[in-house]
Amino acid sequence: MRFRIYRYDPESGARPRMQDYEIAFDPAGKKVLDALIAIKEQQDESLAFRRSCREGVCGSDGLNINGVNSLACVTALAGLKEPIEIRPLPRLAVIRDLVVDMGQFYRHYRAVKPYLINLDPEPESERLQSPAQRAELDGLYECILCGCCTTACPSFWWNPDKFLGPAALLQAYRFVADSRDQAADERLDYLEDPYRLFRCHGIMNCVEVCPKGLNPTAAIGKIKTLLVKRSL
Amino acid sequence: MKTVGGARRGLGLWLAQRASAVVMALYLPAFLAYAWASGPLDYPGWRALFAPLASKVAGLLFVAALLLHAWVGLREICIDYVHPLALRLPLLFLFALAYLGCLAWAADILWSVPA
Repeated sequence: MRFRIYRYDPESGARPRMQDYEIAFDPAGKKVLDALIAIKEQQDESLAFRRSCREGVCGSDGLNINGVNSLACVTALAGLKEPIEIRPLPRLAVIRDLVVDMGQFYRHYRAVKPYLINLDPEPESERLQSPAQRAELDGLYECILCGCCTTACPSFWWNPDKFLGPAALLQAYRFVADSRDQAADERLDYLEDPYRLFRCHGIMNCVEVCPKGLNPTAAIGKIKTLLVKRSL
Repeated sequence: MKTVGGARRGLGLWLAQRASAVVMALYLPAFLAYAWASGPLDYPGWRALFAPLASKVAGLLFVAALLLHAWVGLREICIDYVHPLALRLPLLFLFALAYLGCLAWAADILWSVPA
């Protein structure tokens, strides 16, 4: 199988380049991450990439594979056009090879206060929800913060420091929608901004690439609906 | 300079863009049906379409919605791509001025048709 992989070594001082690899590898039932690990083991131990759980749960191996952001560990090799081109996630600073600086992404995540804000005294057992209230969180809590959606969003490319991006906005709505949270108004105050929220033009790149099948555009739509509701 | 953000801004224009789209979506098919039902569309026929006051008002509302929609869209493009404030501010101001001029011009054209 043939691969073209983005290489960058900050210590060498050389510009980033694409490096070709050819490896005897049976793609049947294998994922892109399997091939990357094989290349690193057999051909080039200097190749750097992140990976941990290798089954689509940890979200650390988000990569741009043949032009599409996805998790290397759940992207099947079969059916990919060769040479398979593997690049780091777009618009984030590259630390080395396929390893990117997720700092900006996490700053946006922190900015939406991704935790319950509830000033009531803690109950003895737990804060209860009805099944319907719990169902509100389906399609929101499953996000693994891999960054595939946010780095596929042109609005994030043009204003990465100001637009929160689909991942952070999905998480923002996850807590706005939570029946146990008491800070929905403050959360909406923060989100109602030409940059933080309204850079989203609903082109749905995020929905297309999400490896967990989530829909950040729908969550953003619900935030906008709540903003309209409370202003009229 | 420090980067700052503002809370409670942006909803009005976003809503205005949706509302203006609704106005255009309602006007266009209604106008086409009205024009089609009104007979031959030669020059006198076309002018006669805009003779009633209601037709003039609806036409002006459509132009206003179109220009508002266009300006909000232009603002979006500027925020996305035109980052220097010294460029963005004059650009938005000039287009606002030009579009207001277009609105006045459209009113003049519409009301030049005798009732």
